[in-house]
Amino acid sequence: MTAGQSSRDVVLRVENVGMRFGGLWALSEVSFEVERGTVLGLIGPNGSGKTTMMNIVSGVYKPTTGQVTYKNRRIADVPTHDVCHLGIARTFQVVKPFASLTVRENVAVGAMYGRLGGKRSSKQAFERTDELLDLVGLARVASRPASDLTIPDRKRLEVAKALALDPELLLLDEVMAGLNNSEVDEALQLLRTVNERGVTLIVVEHLMKAIMSISETVVVLAEGKKIAEGTPLEVTSSPQVIEAYLGARFAKRQLEEREKAAPETSA
Amino acid sequence: MGGITGNRYAIGLVLFAMVALLGVPALHNDYITLTFRNILMFAAMSYGWNMIGGYTGYVSFGNVVFFGMGAYCSAALSGHGIDNLVAAVPLAMLVCASFAVVVGIPVLRLRGHYFGIATLGVSLAVADLVNNLDVLGGSSGLVLKQADQAHFWIYYYAMWLVAIGCILGTYAIARSKLGYAFVAIRENEDAAQVLGISPTRYKVTAWALGAMMAGAAGAVYAPANGFIDPSITFAIDNNVFPIVMAILGGMGTVAGPFIGALLLAGINEFLQQKFLQAHTIFFGATIVLVVVFLPRGLMYLVGLRGGVRRWFADLRVFRV
Repeated sequence: MTAGQSSRDVVLRVENVGMRFGGLWALSEVSFEVERGTVLGLIGPNGSGKTTMMNIVSGVYKPTTGQVTYKNRRIADVPTHDVCHLGIARTFQVVKPFASLTVRENVAVGAMYGRLGGKRSSKQAFERTDELLDLVGLARVASRPASDLTIPDRKRLEVAKALALDPELLLLDEVMAGLNNSEVDEALQLLRTVNERGVTLIVVEHLMKAIMSISETVVVLAEGKKIAEGTPLEVTSSPQVIEAYLGARFAKRQLEEREKAAPETSA
Repeated sequence: MGGITGNRYAIGLVLFAMVALLGVPALHNDYITLTFRNILMFAAMSYGWNMIGGYTGYVSFGNVVFFGMGAYCSAALSGHGIDNLVAAVPLAMLVCASFAVVVGIPVLRLRGHYFGIATLGVSLAVADLVNNLDVLGGSSGLVLKQADQAHFWIYYYAMWLVAIGCILGTYAIARSKLGYAFVAIRENEDAAQVLGISPTRYKVTAWALGAMMAGAAGAVYAPANGFIDPSITFAIDNNVFPIVMAILGGMGTVAGPFIGALLLAGINEFLQQKFLQAHTIFFGATIVLVVVFLPRGLMYLVGLRGGVRRWFADLRVFRV
């Protein structure tokens, strides 16, 4: 980015997005922006509309009101299967492996049909796949049927399939749910590596520890509305967030920790 | 398991069998030659069905329409004095693929069972149409000029070429990027779409490729038989057998349709000789048994690890 230009390079803009299912507004008037190269955390209690937002940004749902623009293109105008060609990839909260294919073949499908897939031969797609399997740690089960995988490996497979699309913006829907502590640390490390390579991330997660440590900005949804946005620290001290989501104990602990840290930072 | 193409040894076996089948006309037994020509024909039709029903997971109940159209392409050319398979087969493939695209674009846009119902309707409608078109001979059919007796083997080898084309074509398609798009759609259409695969485009492609296979078989069948009419070309057997063969052998595999065709034809032949009157009953029972006990076909057994116990555990019929 050259000097003189705005320092904010917004890659995704969500404006007044509302989504109605029958009589229920799963989302209403949600707006936020995502800057290139950053990590945005999207949190909220169950049923707050996080996955609905993921579905809108990835072009699976068309929003009832408002619009989502990615690099100045309206996502709603793009067919679902072309969204990944713009550079947006996603994982599914409920993993969707192609059960009869091997792990390697599952990932290769993404490498064949994703953003750069048109330029790859099937052989080149498999070469790219092998790199990704190494990166996410699935090389050891590459030739096993995807249906044989354990839950953590299925999550890895979801991430590998999304990465195979060569995304510029990656939407991760609860990829750490069901993982133990050390697996969460591994997953975070993987996401940092991906982010360092220039991929912008939107991370939907229940695990506070994980989302707070990786996100630069956090957007909090509750009952379909945005109730807070800011740095992890700002968000966790917001009274609405405490009320809606975090619970008093977590907030108290955060406050105490901050008070402890405050004298050192001000010194 | 051998991944997207299925078991490699089974494919080797199929190719070996195909080479062996080259020798059939040398036996100079018209009955045997005719029987094996029919097996090759049904195998080709079964490969055609396998593209959409086996690989892509969209069950067509009307693929006979392509066999019939292929046959009528040949007959129409013959009516204009062109009795040449080198012209008839490509024309049939082109006509069938075009028809699949035109019908497929609206119908394959939908998910689920609509396609199966629509294909059934289309095949009945086309058969009815041909029945009432005087240009195509109507219900009394068309006669084609045939090669003389000394050159009759040409039809056997033409059908052999169609069949080997279907086998090798299926192998090449399955291993190409196309094959992975088909299987991705079969396994999970939502996930396939998010990976950049346009479901309609690839479903139509699969159906059109299969249509070309069935059409080629029909184009050879018409002059080989010397006569076609709607009741023999659009026969129910020509619709059902290819499906059962693919299921028996193994849907979505390269070897499955050929193995299924060979076995089913063998079973049919055996039953016809043992029980001339009641053979269709036994044949029907065989089909039911296959669907119940081998829903994923013989190829599934070949690749199964864990033996009988695993097979038994996978059978849904015993789980209430």
